[in-house]
Amino acid sequence: MAEQQFDCALDLMRRLPPQEIEKNLGDLIDLVPSLCEDLLSSVDQPLKIAQDKEAGKDYLLCDYNRDGDSYRSPWSNTYYPPLEDGSMPSERLRKLELDANHAFDQYREMYFEGGVSSVYFWDLEHGFAGVILVKKTGDGSKKIKGCWDSIHVVEVQEKSSGRMSHYKMTSTAMLWLQTNKAGSGTMNLGGSLTRQIELDGPVNDANPHLVNIGRMVEDMENKIRNTLHEIYFSKTKDIVNSLRSVQPICETMQQQLLKQDLAAALQRRHTKGEN
Amino acid sequence: MENSKNDKSTKLSATQPKYLNMASDGDEISDQEKVQIVSDFILHSPPGEFNEVFNDVRKLLNNDDLLKEGASGAFAQYNKDQLIPVRIENSDNLVLITEYNDLGNNRFFDPRSKQSFKYDHLRKEASEYQTYVPDASSEPWRAALDTEFIEYTKNHYKDGVCSVVARINSGNIVLTACIEDHQFQPKNYWNGRWRSQWSIAFNSNCTSAEIRGILKAQVHYYEEGNVQLLIGL
Repeated sequence: MAEQQFDCALDLMRRLPPQEIEKNLGDLIDLVPSLCEDLLSSVDQPLKIAQDKEAGKDYLLCDYNRDGDSYRSPWSNTYYPPLEDGSMPSERLRKLELDANHAFDQYREMYFEGGVSSVYFWDLEHGFAGVILVKKTGDGSKKIKGCWDSIHVVEVQEKSSGRMSHYKMTSTAMLWLQTNKAGSGTMNLGGSLTRQIELDGPVNDANPHLVNIGRMVEDMENKIRNTLHEIYFSKTKDIVNSLRSVQPICETMQQQLLKQDLAAALQRRHTKGEN
Repeated sequence: MENSKNDKSTKLSATQPKYLNMASDGDEISDQEKVQIVSDFILHSPPGEFNEVFNDVRKLLNNDDLLKEGASGAFAQYNKDQLIPVRIENSDNLVLITEYNDLGNNRFFDPRSKQSFKYDHLRKEASEYQTYVPDASSEPWRAALDTEFIEYTKNHYKDGVCSVVARINSGNIVLTACIEDHQFQPKNYWNGRWRSQWSIAFNSNCTSAEIRGILKAQVHYYEEGNVQLLIGL
């Protein structure tokens, strides 16, 4: 029963308006409290921003940098509000985490020209895992509100030889656009896409983990960015056009008949030419 | 770290204020609150996905009596909001379920075929037909607009359905025309619906008329994701 309910809850989250993820998730948990943990760890929510006062930089909050009620900043490696025994990555991993945060900070600046990014790593038995987060709230237009959130969870299995690693990444990108003007009404376009990729890669001085992960994130974000463009604009436009035709349908049909006639005529001429 | 991750999960419910209450008192929310949540989910079903949402909330609520008793108002509201078309007897045209042709007690009327019928909001079927006599003063106006709307709908909506309803409001005739068209392609992971509502109010000597319209379009695309477009003007 519990498993079935969990599937239903996930199915529901796939159908209800993504513009209301947080409300829908809260309501679902109120309805079936026993699903709380499973749902919070499997449904991605829009990222929240907090300020690291020590480092004077913003960082992003998610389930992976949380311990109890506190969130660890990747910049100063401290929990806010302060936490005595908050879980920390191992020394080796913290070094990698710091490098990754600086690298993705530059990546973010190059591709997003603003926004906030954070990277969190945690140790696993045969390797480690991490999450790369980017958030950018639209500032390009006063008329259109918008926001991008991307969440990449990557699991790295280090092979015993140490020369190869297996990378598994699950990426979710959320994109929101909203306009509300008296003249043109409201338009609310939003949602999320999730993609997964697995690959084996060599690990050496020229290709450390960071380079491999960086390449995967960059490729994936470019890919999702293109898919979002297609779905958000081309696909929805096609669907709306299939609901209401701007041109009278009889004209469209006449055009199609003419097209068929022309094609048939060309075909006949072509066949004649061959004979 | 694996362990501390698990520790985290147990503390999870304490992190967000909304869940804090629940975890701390351990009480379930009331039946009334459950019905409220379920009704809200139902009303937000994307076009063509009412049955899927219904089945999900049915398993989640796990109380069919409560669902039937508490959320049936939401089923009716959803059908009226979405302008669901229904096939009726003795008519070649489908008729829309709207707030404008609602007679109460799950009965609706179709001024075009001059019948009223009982509508099953879950099965989405009409039954128990009766003759419906329209108001004589507004019917010629309604019928004239209906003819135009049928033509217009045919011209711009591939599978569109329209209904025109008349009522008298403080001496004025009010005609309301609704158009619905949808394309459901669950195999391709998308569904869409268009809705138009136009209201024209005028007095019997026709010195002035006021026309208001609302257009709504909704698209749901859910292949490896959940993307929705909502337009209202």
